[in-house]
Amino acid sequence: MRALIIDDSAVMRKVIERALRQSGLDLTEVMQASNGEEALEVLRGDASSPTKISLIISDINMPVMDGLQFLEARRDQQLAVGVPVVMITTEGSEPFVLRAIAAGAQGYICKPFTAEQVKARVMPLLQAA
Amino acid sequence: MATSWASSLDWIGRLDSAVSEVFEMMLERSCVPIQDTDIVHDPISAQIFFSGAICGECLLFTSRTVAHVTAGVLLGVESGPDSSMVEDAVGELCNMVAGGWKSKLGSAEAACAISPPKVSTDPISSVLPTSEKHFRRFYSFEGCVFGVQMAFCD
Repeated sequence: MRALIIDDSAVMRKVIERALRQSGLDLTEVMQASNGEEALEVLRGDASSPTKISLIISDINMPVMDGLQFLEARRDQQLAVGVPVVMITTEGSEPFVLRAIAAGAQGYICKPFTAEQVKARVMPLLQAA
Repeated sequence: MATSWASSLDWIGRLDSAVSEVFEMMLERSCVPIQDTDIVHDPISAQIFFSGAICGECLLFTSRTVAHVTAGVLLGVESGPDSSMVEDAVGELCNMVAGGWKSKLGSAEAACAISPPKVSTDPISSVLPTSEKHFRRFYSFEGCVFGVQMAFCD
């Protein structure tokens, strides 16, 4: 499967990828974007790919376009429809969580996190998709 | 350093807890508070600002040597990460400590935004707080020492 990780920190992108691999996901390719705008470009390119992205993991606080704006733009532009999106962020306050869910996020993980927590959030979403 | 106000609010205990959680969960390392120590040589620091119900900042500082080791453990790599990844890692650690500390506050106090981390290699003395309300804690994991300073608007 292919996954897209969106975070302005290259370190966090690597840490999240490692957690996904430790979760037992059979990742054939991990796409990366450092903000929401770059992620939308990746998704537009993915529309013509024979093997589509199956999972999106996104930070919230990012420059250029943040994670909530990305969710809203993705919904408005009908990109990666039906693909589960899990937010991973330090911003775990209720207003942010509610806004993320309203904009189309299916899961929410607060930093710091363990690989087990990532697995517990991601696996049910992939099985249901 | 006047910290009785922070002790009464248990802000110090919450910081210790937040630091411990970050290291346990993200680095799989035990990290404990230690006695105050000298300002580190060849420093690197990351600073995050709180705005809203809480006004202040969180500063995480250490030596470049410790930052290099910490980044390697966080990334799970044997060979040393490059300097941009080390700075990125220090910023993310500060981000998670500040976010973890904030998440342990009551809902009214937690209604504040946290800024992106600002990483610097300036001497630590240049970022000493001017406000009365501040405290500093030092921590160690596997002999690697770093400090966290919390300062709040008067």
